[in-house]
Amino acid sequence: MTALLRITGLHLDARTPRGTAHILRGIDLDVGQGRIVGVVGESGSGKSTLALALLRLLPGNVTRLDGQAVMDGTDLLALPDAAMGAWRGSRIAMIFQDPATALNPLFTIGTHLRDVLRRRQPGLSRAALRTQAEAALRRVEIADPAARLRAYPHELSGGMRQRVMIAMALLAQPTLLLADEPTTALDATVEAGIIGLFRGLRADLGGAILFISHDLALVADLCDDIAVLYGGLVVETGPAPAVTTDPAHPYTAALLACAIEDGGSGRLPSIPGDVPDPVTEPPGCIFAPRCPLVEARCRAEPQPLRPVSPGRAAACWKAA
Amino acid sequence: MRYLLSRLLTTALIVAGAMLLLFALTVLVPGDPAAALLGPQASPEYAARFVAEMGLDQPVHIRLWRFFTHVLTGDLGTDVVSGRKVSAAIGAVLPYTVVLTATSIGLAVLLGVPLGCLAATRPGSLTDNVLAGVSVALIAIPSFVIAILLLLVFSVWLDWLPVLGTGRGDDLADQARRLILPTIALSVGWVGYIARLVRTAMLEVLAEPYIRTARAYGLPRGTIVLKYALKNACIPPLAVLGLGIGRLLGGAVLVELVFSRPGLGRLVLDAINVRNYPVLQGAVLVVVLLFAGANLAVDLLYGAIDPRLRRRA
Amino acid sequence: MRRMLATPAGVLGALIVGAVLLAAQFAPWIAPYDPDALAVLDRFAGLSRAHLLGTDQLGRDLYSRLLHGATVAMGVSLTSIAIAALSGTALGILAASVPAAWERLILVAFDIIASFPSIVLALAVVAVFGPSNAHLVGIVAVTLVPQFGRVARAQVLTLRAAPFLEAERILGASPLRIMWSHVLPNIAGPLIVLASMEVPVVITIEAGLSFIGLGVRPPLASWGTLIYDGYSYLSDSTLPVLVASLALAAATLGFTLFGEALRDAVDPRAGRG
Repeated sequence: MTALLRITGLHLDARTPRGTAHILRGIDLDVGQGRIVGVVGESGSGKSTLALALLRLLPGNVTRLDGQAVMDGTDLLALPDAAMGAWRGSRIAMIFQDPATALNPLFTIGTHLRDVLRRRQPGLSRAALRTQAEAALRRVEIADPAARLRAYPHELSGGMRQRVMIAMALLAQPTLLLADEPTTALDATVEAGIIGLFRGLRADLGGAILFISHDLALVADLCDDIAVLYGGLVVETGPAPAVTTDPAHPYTAALLACAIEDGGSGRLPSIPGDVPDPVTEPPGCIFAPRCPLVEARCRAEPQPLRPVSPGRAAACWKAA
Repeated sequence: MRYLLSRLLTTALIVAGAMLLLFALTVLVPGDPAAALLGPQASPEYAARFVAEMGLDQPVHIRLWRFFTHVLTGDLGTDVVSGRKVSAAIGAVLPYTVVLTATSIGLAVLLGVPLGCLAATRPGSLTDNVLAGVSVALIAIPSFVIAILLLLVFSVWLDWLPVLGTGRGDDLADQARRLILPTIALSVGWVGYIARLVRTAMLEVLAEPYIRTARAYGLPRGTIVLKYALKNACIPPLAVLGLGIGRLLGGAVLVELVFSRPGLGRLVLDAINVRNYPVLQGAVLVVVLLFAGANLAVDLLYGAIDPRLRRRA
Repeated sequence: MRRMLATPAGVLGALIVGAVLLAAQFAPWIAPYDPDALAVLDRFAGLSRAHLLGTDQLGRDLYSRLLHGATVAMGVSLTSIAIAALSGTALGILAASVPAAWERLILVAFDIIASFPSIVLALAVVAVFGPSNAHLVGIVAVTLVPQFGRVARAQVLTLRAAPFLEAERILGASPLRIMWSHVLPNIAGPLIVLASMEVPVVITIEAGLSFIGLGVRPPLASWGTLIYDGYSYLSDSTLPVLVASLALAAATLGFTLFGEALRDAVDPRAGRG
């Protein structure tokens, strides 16, 4: 399996009023060609920041960005900003979490799509732009695309707006598609439709999709591979069926327990304790404070991601 | 469409209300209206003409009716001093005031918007801070004071620019030259103010998620700032401009006086001094109409820019 | 208060405001001459030790006249703003408390008054009722009422949703008591900021009206009157008009800076243009 994107040692710090926050503490992740990779984590695990880091769309208070993210022989993190601009919207595209705010309310859908298209294929005639935009809307199963092109974002429902965002991504013809919690802001029924779209997208794109979510069940259903994120670190990776039936890391196991057992006994299970404060730098395993299997060794030694079986890795010495 | 209609209706109501207010002023004058309005020096024939013209001898409801119907047909009454129609008197000088005001607004926008964009793309820089400081100073100082200071510097001391009047009617260049100082006096405060508003709005807009989307798709920086962000950033300044037109009109009146230009300012002042009440009433009404019209234009511009306001029926 | 003095602009504003207020209050004691004392032989005198800022066309000492001008400016502004604040706030609270139809009426009245540029409204009223100090203060107050009214109404509406007021109502406190001890203190902030930001506006209106002779009546002389005097005799001397203009410019600038610093100290988010 060839890796389309290989991330090694991605560290990201940001300056906050309370001190330096370590948002990403050394991410190692491979995204395989033609695969849908799910990145799962609670809020605060750094998953959205990971995607933004790949596109280098970070806020001004970022103080440290180390590591490598190599795609097609180029380290994305080392590219100068102007060169990065050439990659955005052509080699890499991103779908954001809240479609309501991701589109400019003063411009029509058509304008948004046309501008993305024009950037990708400059010199297209207006007629060709319109045809392709309509085709993209049809591809994401939006009825009456011609009318929708003239519509403004506030005139569309949430689900339709997200379909528009996906259409935009398609028009960019990216090799890597980053989807940051694309269904979190949508109803469950609408969500199902969007997930169906993603399944179909794999063939259209030919590259890879990085699907970020906090919903393990959703990711398990849709994705080929899973990477579990906790406190800015990848704690487990592997094929989705394997990770979900036989988790190697205690955190993954706990997440699965929460996902599966809800409503049954009338009590919502949860993992005791809190997400780690990004300002701290614990000496040992990042999950130690909340781990049911914790021992002295866990608190003392940091746990790097190590292979546990072919194609699987976990950041726990007990998993090997 | 509904937006347009509702704005028109509101404007019409406000203008009607203003007319009512103006009318009420003549009714509420204490004592004998003619004596109070004209003062003790007025001759009896003048007073009689005045009473007849203003219809002061008629019952209130008749006067109200006359007032409204006359105005709606464009008849603003007759100048009691010269016998000319008020609308003619106003019409003769109105263009000057309108040109001055329009040029000032135009200059303020033409200079202010680019300056604001510039400051927004370089927040915290020297340009930004200088702009912030200067703009506060200039908008705070009354425009007629700036006019006088400009007069002192450029005409009296340096003798660079002509001082007074509007120039000969057939010489456009001369007219333009004489427009320079008054326009600068009126607009200088607004350039800085608009620039500051645009800057603040721009900074907010540039932090919005939809701008991040545009950047994520690699759209050129020029497109992002000038096409996407600018349109959103124009909205707050537009609101303020609408409110500010009133101040601008009031300032225009005074600036005209400083530079001895013909216009509504001179007309109103002369009318007050000789108690030419119909002219005064007519001029105030025209100013109110201009103001209401300008506000309506601003509201319509809003609707054109922001589609969320145009709710379909 | 400390936050206000944090910026150089705030400090400058506070200094100027302080100076103007001092001048206004203590003018009769500070001024070296009677502002109306004629000394025709000494007209258009330049800067000198005897006349710090020169004299005007009738030989009156400009420095003394400026100081008394401060008294006029402050007198007019503070009185009219006080009147406008009281009546505007009362109307605003009323608008927020009465049935929708009445509220509409009040708001429309606000809009109508606001539809006149203030100088023009002042001109119209003064032309009809005759120029007098009382009329000046009154009409300026009227032009300011809509702004106070709208701010007060907006504040009350926001406050209405506050849970603690609901609690008081449930506990049986009378509307008047709620108004007095809870509503008023909470809406005071923005109103005070508005009042301080209106001062330069009123000074400008008053000066403008005095400039065209419709402002304060003699023997009172405001800065606007001084500017007009200086402007009329520009060919004789540029000093009087320069001095008076700079004084007015400095005062309006100072009060604007002060008002902005106050607003930023009370509610930084409100400083969005």
